[in-house]
Amino acid sequence: MNKYIIEKIVFWVFRLMTLLVVGILVWILGFIAYHGIQVLSWDFLTKMPEEGMTKGGIFPAIVGTVCLMVGSMIFAFPTGVMSAIYLNEFLGEGKIKSLINLMTDNLAGIPSIVFGLFGMALFVNKLHFGDSIIAGSLTLGLLVLPIIIRTTETALKSIDDTYRHASYALGASKLYTIKNVVLPMAMPNVITGLILGMGRVSGETAPILFTAAAYFLPQLPDSIYDQVMALPYHLYVLATSGTDIETARPMAYGTALVLILFVLFCNLAANFIRSIKN
Amino acid sequence: MSSKIEITNLNFYYGNFHALKNISFTIPENQVTAFIGPSGCGKSTLLRLFNRMNDLIEDIHLDGEIKIDGKNIYSRNTDLIQLRKNIGMVFQKPNPFSKTIFENVAYGLKVNGVKDTNEINSQVESALTKAALWDEVKDKLNKSALALSGGQQQRLCIARCLAVRPEIILMDEPASALDPISTAKIEELILELKSKYTIIIVTHNMQQASRISDKTAFFYLGELIEYGSTNQLFTAPKIERTQNYITGRFG
Amino acid sequence: MRIIDKEILELKNEIAEMFDLVQHQLARSLHAIQYFNQESAKEVMLYEKRINSQELVIDKACEQFVVKFNPVAVDMRFAFATFKINSHLERLGDNAKGIARFVKELDKGFDSNLMERLQLSDMIELGLQMTKLNLDAYLNDDTSTAKLVFELDHKIDIINFNATDIITNYMKENIDEIKPCLSLISTIRKLERVGDLNLNIAEEIVFYVDAKVMKHSKEFKLKNKEK
Repeated sequence: MNKYIIEKIVFWVFRLMTLLVVGILVWILGFIAYHGIQVLSWDFLTKMPEEGMTKGGIFPAIVGTVCLMVGSMIFAFPTGVMSAIYLNEFLGEGKIKSLINLMTDNLAGIPSIVFGLFGMALFVNKLHFGDSIIAGSLTLGLLVLPIIIRTTETALKSIDDTYRHASYALGASKLYTIKNVVLPMAMPNVITGLILGMGRVSGETAPILFTAAAYFLPQLPDSIYDQVMALPYHLYVLATSGTDIETARPMAYGTALVLILFVLFCNLAANFIRSIKN
Repeated sequence: MSSKIEITNLNFYYGNFHALKNISFTIPENQVTAFIGPSGCGKSTLLRLFNRMNDLIEDIHLDGEIKIDGKNIYSRNTDLIQLRKNIGMVFQKPNPFSKTIFENVAYGLKVNGVKDTNEINSQVESALTKAALWDEVKDKLNKSALALSGGQQQRLCIARCLAVRPEIILMDEPASALDPISTAKIEELILELKSKYTIIIVTHNMQQASRISDKTAFFYLGELIEYGSTNQLFTAPKIERTQNYITGRFG
Repeated sequence: MRIIDKEILELKNEIAEMFDLVQHQLARSLHAIQYFNQESAKEVMLYEKRINSQELVIDKACEQFVVKFNPVAVDMRFAFATFKINSHLERLGDNAKGIARFVKELDKGFDSNLMERLQLSDMIELGLQMTKLNLDAYLNDDTSTAKLVFELDHKIDIINFNATDIITNYMKENIDEIKPCLSLISTIRKLERVGDLNLNIAEEIVFYVDAKVMKHSKEFKLKNKEK
């Protein structure tokens, strides 16, 4: 009887904690949505910022973020997938593999601001890209590389060896097998990793702070060597250092809402792709 | 009965582990030969030596000879692709690729460079027919193979290896993941196939070995303990250890 | 102990009981004929039913054994041997009943002189001895004991072979005694069957233990003839 009651109480504590977490999340989202929805309009999405960013839209920031997402993935996705294939398919278990795994794990643990500094030192200054889409993309690419490698490796690892063996047994080479059996089977999970990576990229502020983001640039980029505005940085600017913070507050909520929708969309897409596979 | 595979003084090592010890026997053509023995006795290892699947593992060492049709498959001028084309393999768990039914069967043909669509079509049909699956799948060749039942998937895997027209089929516990009815179908199929193929099957199921095989080899701790006609081995084994194993008096 | 070993033991116990029943039946019927004892003959008729029901019990147990264990090798041979020994034992019981029936149908016993010349009591003794040897051999998986049965059967065959002439001569001298003499011949034939059935049981035991088929084997028959 006592045990029963204790069990009940403990379960209720767990339940309340879960509700609390969900509640906070809903509250934040609701708060932002409530405030953001008031400024959200077609104009807001498609117009340049005006009057010291207190009016107009956030179009260049959206474009900039999309550029950075795509740019970083162009760099990180093939590199990550190929590294993962090498790690999982070609490199046998051993010291080299554990060393590489240790390094990718550590790479994932580095604070994003450090990536920003590194990107500035290497891409902006040393390679003379300047503050640009390409410098930002490369920096963000480095940041998500561990995620891409990890998810791809996990996806490859989850494919039973008998599928590979069945292909070899039919006379196929290793490369043919990877291309025609292993990768198609791993693809849904690999794509999931890609999309999660994009979500992560879209929200990062620190790495682009010194490498790509412009404080205020009411025009679209012409080339990959141009600076761009970006949603997270724009939000930061609106909230902390705009010309008129109070007037710009609704704009900040609107930007936050758009940014959250970006990330949310990425996560939902990832979930959707995973569910198709099953 | 002419012999298909001749194994002479075979020793096989994984690193320092002596996995197969001085094994010599011959496997007859167009018959079913069963390998039985407790887990880790070397039967699967030996099976995988026939199509050199163990080549994938590092740090292995092999002494002695395995001859298929009189040719040592471990000699330097063996064409590995040709060897594997000649030897089909069916695994424990049904493992069709996540492709359509048609593509699964056509896979081996495409691997081997067959491009003529008509030929691929007719080979796929004939392989599926031989695997007793054609009637069940002919209307859904372009559906995913993963939508088939476990037993159908396993027969698809058999069809997949039949498509490249092998002479030998290796089966590693092909029915252990299937229900009794699907198992019966697979066994029936094995008996049908043996007129055209030399079949070697690893199984933990004594009844299955006694039902479908002509010859049985019993392995224990890397040694071939007894090899002979299945009938004889399951009614009156010559060696006590064999009897202890097949009657379950082990350990 | 494996489950199968337990069940093998249980089956052996059932067969031992069957042996026991059959041995008693044989002893009673032989007592009946040797001493023209109607009481013993009646008892034989009574106990026959128990043998039949025990046969069914063992049949069922053998079926269950095969279904449960799908036995192979020595276990498979055990199941088949037991199944067949069971039916041989039942037929031994039938022979005992047959002999007892003759006693019931006769008005008086056989000529004791004649019985002595026919070595009837030796035959009876041999039959009982064979059954006992078979029981020991079966329970202990002992083929050397089973092989003794082959020799005893040979002795019974010789007695049986000589019996025909002895009885024929007796009948020529005692024409009134033809009817009991015919019964006597039949009794001797039944005793010879007792020997044969015991021989079959011994063969099954050898098959079970050594996986050697003794039945219809030329080598064995030749050996028998030499003697």
